[in-house]
Amino acid sequence: MARPAPAQRTRRSGGQRLRRDWTFVGPAVLIGLLLVVALVPGFFAGLFGHGDPRVCDLYSSQLGPSAGHPFGFDLQGCDVWANVIYGTQSSIAVGLMATAISGVIAVVLGTLAGFNGGWADWLISRLTEVFLGFPFLLAAIVVLNSIGQRTVFTVAAVLGLFGWPTMARLVRASVRQVRSLDYVLAARTMGLGVWRIVTRYVLANGLTPVLILATISIGTVIVAESSLTYLGVGLAPPAISWGLQIADGSRYFQTAPHMIVFPSLFLSLTVLSIIMLGEALRAAFDPKRLQ
Amino acid sequence: MKLSIRAGLGVALAAALSLGLTACGGDSPSDDPTGGADSASIVVATETIDHLTPGNHYSAYIAILSLFTPLTSLTQDEQLEYQQAESVTSDDGITWTIKLRSGWTFHNGEPVTSDSYIDSWNYLAYGPNAWVNSGQLRGVVGFDEMQGDNPTTKTLSGLNKVDDLTFTVQLKTADRQFPFQLSDGQTGLYPLPKAAFEDLEAYDQFPIGNGPFQMATAWTSDSSDIVVKAYPDYKGTKPALEQITFRPYQDTNTAYTDVLAGNIDVAAVASGKNAIAQQELGDRLHTLDAPGVDLLGFNPNDPRFADVRVRQAFSMAIDRAAINQAIFSNSQIPATSLTSSSMPGDPAGVCGRYCEFDPAGAKALLAEAGGLTGQVVLLYVGGWGQEDLFQAYANQLRQNLELDVVATPATDFAEFQERLQSGDYALNRARWGALYPSQQDTLHSLYTAAGDGNFAAGGYHNDEVDALLAQADAADTIEASFAIYRQVQERILADFPVIPTFGNRYLWACSERIDQVPSAAGTVYFARLTLK
Repeated sequence: MARPAPAQRTRRSGGQRLRRDWTFVGPAVLIGLLLVVALVPGFFAGLFGHGDPRVCDLYSSQLGPSAGHPFGFDLQGCDVWANVIYGTQSSIAVGLMATAISGVIAVVLGTLAGFNGGWADWLISRLTEVFLGFPFLLAAIVVLNSIGQRTVFTVAAVLGLFGWPTMARLVRASVRQVRSLDYVLAARTMGLGVWRIVTRYVLANGLTPVLILATISIGTVIVAESSLTYLGVGLAPPAISWGLQIADGSRYFQTAPHMIVFPSLFLSLTVLSIIMLGEALRAAFDPKRLQ
Repeated sequence: MKLSIRAGLGVALAAALSLGLTACGGDSPSDDPTGGADSASIVVATETIDHLTPGNHYSAYIAILSLFTPLTSLTQDEQLEYQQAESVTSDDGITWTIKLRSGWTFHNGEPVTSDSYIDSWNYLAYGPNAWVNSGQLRGVVGFDEMQGDNPTTKTLSGLNKVDDLTFTVQLKTADRQFPFQLSDGQTGLYPLPKAAFEDLEAYDQFPIGNGPFQMATAWTSDSSDIVVKAYPDYKGTKPALEQITFRPYQDTNTAYTDVLAGNIDVAAVASGKNAIAQQELGDRLHTLDAPGVDLLGFNPNDPRFADVRVRQAFSMAIDRAAINQAIFSNSQIPATSLTSSSMPGDPAGVCGRYCEFDPAGAKALLAEAGGLTGQVVLLYVGGWGQEDLFQAYANQLRQNLELDVVATPATDFAEFQERLQSGDYALNRARWGALYPSQQDTLHSLYTAAGDGNFAAGGYHNDEVDALLAQADAADTIEASFAIYRQVQERILADFPVIPTFGNRYLWACSERIDQVPSAAGTVYFARLTLK
């Protein structure tokens, strides 16, 4: 069975457009690099010879950049460069995990609602609205406050649990759109099972906008994690995270600004690249631009 | 209260008056920040005040100290000085005769007599009244009979009136430190006038004391200012100030910013802010010695710490000097004994090599004791500005002993106590701010089973320590008591139940108008504060 033509054309021309677009290539390369950093932080942290984020000497407290320590030292006398590099791991891990969790919830619920319609649609749509009614950060603060041990996993789970409604709506809308298209009808007529129709035809063709939204939401989640951590309800030491570093640095901004500048720089660069990537993807796959 | 266990700011604590004077810098007197015409008027930040009745408050020291005069206090060189009392004497250390100065009056004109003391101490000791500072009379004969729901008597049998200005106090055991217990920090022992008992609720809003200042207007809510003005008929040393406004702040950072902006004159500063405060205030930042100590306690039910060598190794693995420099910018005092170095008779260095940083020795000692496995959780109270301190402890223990050590905050003091009870920790933060300048208070409170702070020291008690303490309390002279308190400390440290970490000093931010900042055990002594 051949792939449906329109989708194929969209994907190809979108992809071609992207490869020539610096607003896509730039962020993509940067994110690729950050992913590598997150996977093997030890190598990058050790680039300047002092790679262990947990080797701290109080007598170096708050010292500025010096040989072997390009970003200087934090209050505890730990190497800021190594800490920022290791912080990449938790930020990206939380971003990916939370988005994956909310993505899965969104796809399951959105497809159920969009494909079946009827009472399932009604129920899920109301549920989505209820969840949308909670302010995202407030809900996360309330739940995280009542969790005793806060790790990368729990923070990601909480952010994932409150991040799905927008995506679920999008999935529902695009599933509804796709399910009445001719090739889906044809597949039904041929007597294919629901599972196969949904995975092979509906989701394969309806997921692009969701993936783009998910990309952008990785950035949002990273920001949320840092904000929550800064407020003291996100990750807690001994975890290494940009949010923690920014929180520590903010208290010593007047005496040692480098403590806050470097993690903030990494945080903004990461989030900026992810959002630009998402934007570039969105622009490339925008049906209006294809005509 | 005793409060040990409160973090950081000295506001809540007072003991005796060590009248250390420090000069404020700056040359030009600035305008009155209050905008008032009266130049001898200042505004002072306090924490939120709960009550103004001296026997029943947790957090009003700073205001109550100005409204009342204690029986005794301490001079700059830590000598006992009589205030409201003319003399406090005893032959045997058990029966004490307190003679009052004549001619002193409460702010309403009522004379201060032995009845003022006897009536208020009876009310304080009576269990059903549930005044929070009643424990300050624990050592007096008859106190135990007044506890419980339905005590048979309403009077302390240990108190006897001799005449209008003389009364005797009979103690359960000989205690030569008793005159120190009558000093500023034990606010429960302040006298109340007859008017107080007619309407205690009204009195709590408009306390009438025997001190250098009197209430200017009633205190109406815990967020409103408390304004006091000089009491013209005060018989003690007249204060230099005409008026003080105590303004409650929820957040010490806001108060600090208000001092910087010139809106208020005096505010306490968190010890972790020392570096920034020094930079911003220069010599307008005052550091006052306080009789408080910071400690780390051990979980008594954790078998990993059963061996004394493990506990000693942990102590030796902490570089107190480095922490003092990095975290406190040298404002605190690395501990070498169980009491603060400003405590009279403090046996400095009694902790010996176990309070000295020696990572190699610590590791060897730990190995000798058979090592230690598993995670070690340092439990502290979150939101009290101690995150950096405990992170530093954890880093040092982790690196120097090669153990898995994490610092974990409890969300608040209630959860902290819960976790101490449930045993969900390895080491805990502990602190004791002495209420009077005698080692007696710190040693009894932390290291005897009946002590208010005993839970923070892992429930430590030892019969030999108890016996030595009784001996020290009964010693005929102060000097003799110092020698025995030293033995007490040696005996306790042989068991090494806690890690002594820092002796406290409190930081105060002052406006440019403040000249001299005299200390009452780390708290500003407003009755002697002078302006430029």
